[in-house]
Order: sequence, then C-alpha cells, then structure tokens
Amino acid sequence: MKLPSHHRILSIACVFSLVAVGLMVWSLFDPRPVPVIVAMSLGQVIGTLSLLAFLFVVASDLRPLFRSTPDDRDSIKPKSP
Amino acid sequence: MDHASPLTLIAFVCAAISAAILVSYLVFRPKLGPGTKIWLLLGVGVFPIGLAGAGNIQDFEATKKRAFCGDCHVMTLHTADSDDPNSTSLASRHARNKFFGSENCYVCHADYGMYGTVLTKMGGMRHFWLYYTQYRNTSLADAKHEIQIRKPFPNSNCMQCHSTQNPIWLAQRDHTAMLDDVRSGHVSCASAGCHGLAHPFWQTPEGGTL
Repeated sequence: MKLPSHHRILSIACVFSLVAVGLMVWSLFDPRPVPVIVAMSLGQVIGTLSLLAFLFVVASDLRPLFRSTPDDRDSIKPKSP
Repeated sequence: MDHASPLTLIAFVCAAISAAILVSYLVFRPKLGPGTKIWLLLGVGVFPIGLAGAGNIQDFEATKKRAFCGDCHVMTLHTADSDDPNSTSLASRHARNKFFGSENCYVCHADYGMYGTVLTKMGGMRHFWLYYTQYRNTSLADAKHEIQIRKPFPNSNCMQCHSTQNPIWLAQRDHTAMLDDVRSGHVSCASAGCHGLAHPFWQTPEGGTL
C-alpha cells in the first residue's frame, strides 16, 4: 500500500488539529457535560493523532540521515515531496 | 462562560495561534523545509498541548459548579433548591455558605482521600453515562422514584468541616450521646431525626433520598 505524500499527511493532520482545537475551545465557551466530555476525550484523541501524524512525517524525513554512514550524511538532504 | 480566568485566556491565545498556523499552512502550502516543520510543530504540537493543559484545568473546574450538575434535567430540583434563598434544606443552607457557594454539590458529594478527586470524576462519568443511556427522557416525577443515591452519604464528608472534636459541638448532648455512632457512620448526620434530609423534596415513598 502506497502512503500518501508528506504534504497530504500534514494537510490531514492540520485539519484534524483544527477540529481538535475547535472541540477544546467549545468546552470553554459552553462548559456543559457534553462539550466538556467531548473536549477531554474526542478532542484530545484527535489532537494526539494529528501530532502523531506530524511526527511520522518528520521521522520519515530524518530516517535517511540516521541510516547513512557519516561520509554520506553531507550528501543526503531531507526528502521533500 | 461566567468570567475569563487567566487560564481561559491562555487557552484562547494558544487556540488562536495554533489555528492561525494551521490555516496558514493549509492556505499557502509552503515548501516542507526545516523551518516549516518547526512552524508546524508549534501549530500541531506545542500550542494545542498548551490549550489542552489550560483547557483541562478549566473543564475540571467547570465540572465542580452547581450549574454543571443542574444541566441534566433530573437535577434541576436540586439546583433550584440550592439557589433558593428561602429554602431551609441542608443542601441550601450549605450553598449559602461562602466555602461551598456555587460548588456545593461537589464539596459535599466529592470523595476525599488520596484518590478522592479521581474517584469523584469516575463517579461523574458514570452519572453522565447513565443519564444519556437511561434517564434522558425520564420525567422528574419518575426520576424521583428511579434515581437514588448509590451508597449512603458518608458522615466522613460532613466531618471534613464538622470535625466532631469542637467543644461547642461536643457540648450538644445529642452529639455526645451518639458520638461513636456518628463518627463510625452508623447514624447519619442528615437523617430525619438529626439535621434533616439534605434534599427533602426527593424523598421517595420508601423513605430513600438522594
């Protein structure tokens, strides 16, 4: 299975993160049971997933640097999509 | 939102900065270099975590408010009684005490001890679940019969403030006569023969109270 491009993963992560931020802010404006529970569960799960997606992209870009020999490192640059 | 506390302001600032970064990335689609990644780390990681931290504390504080408890319709009689300045119920009299104030439900019903807060929040989650799965469409009249306190209200909660050691308290003959029973919880402070029911309007035909 081919993974989506890094730009696409990051775009999805950004959208997820915006949703998470929105859910968490909702509970501050409207501190009733449903918004508070949603913010502290769903909001934070979505936010965590978006952060993990971002870290996955960063780790993927850095992986060639750690796999290469010291002599090669100067010639390897992080992959851009 | 009654007032903007410093934590709320921090949460809003974090949310605004995070949203600005995320939207700017989605709109401008910059080249994915180290600078962009650091920029995105702030938008996806640092500021949302700041928002979550400040927001969690605010949300936990919100769950202590009487208005939060009263948001479920089956609790409206309880909150109305606490809000009533003419009520003489035990709950209402405590609500007029500044120490309890708008958090009187939480102060009285919270479990104390090392894991008290966690246990109380777990109990709150149980209330939330039961409300949305069983009692959401229950009328108040039916709720009075169906919803009961899960376990007897412990005197140890009363004793957080009323230590049972004060000479004025001990000077009451009723207190000294039942001192061991009160301290052990065999006789409830909130029983009909003592200080009265905390929520007398909720008494069921069987004599149970909430």
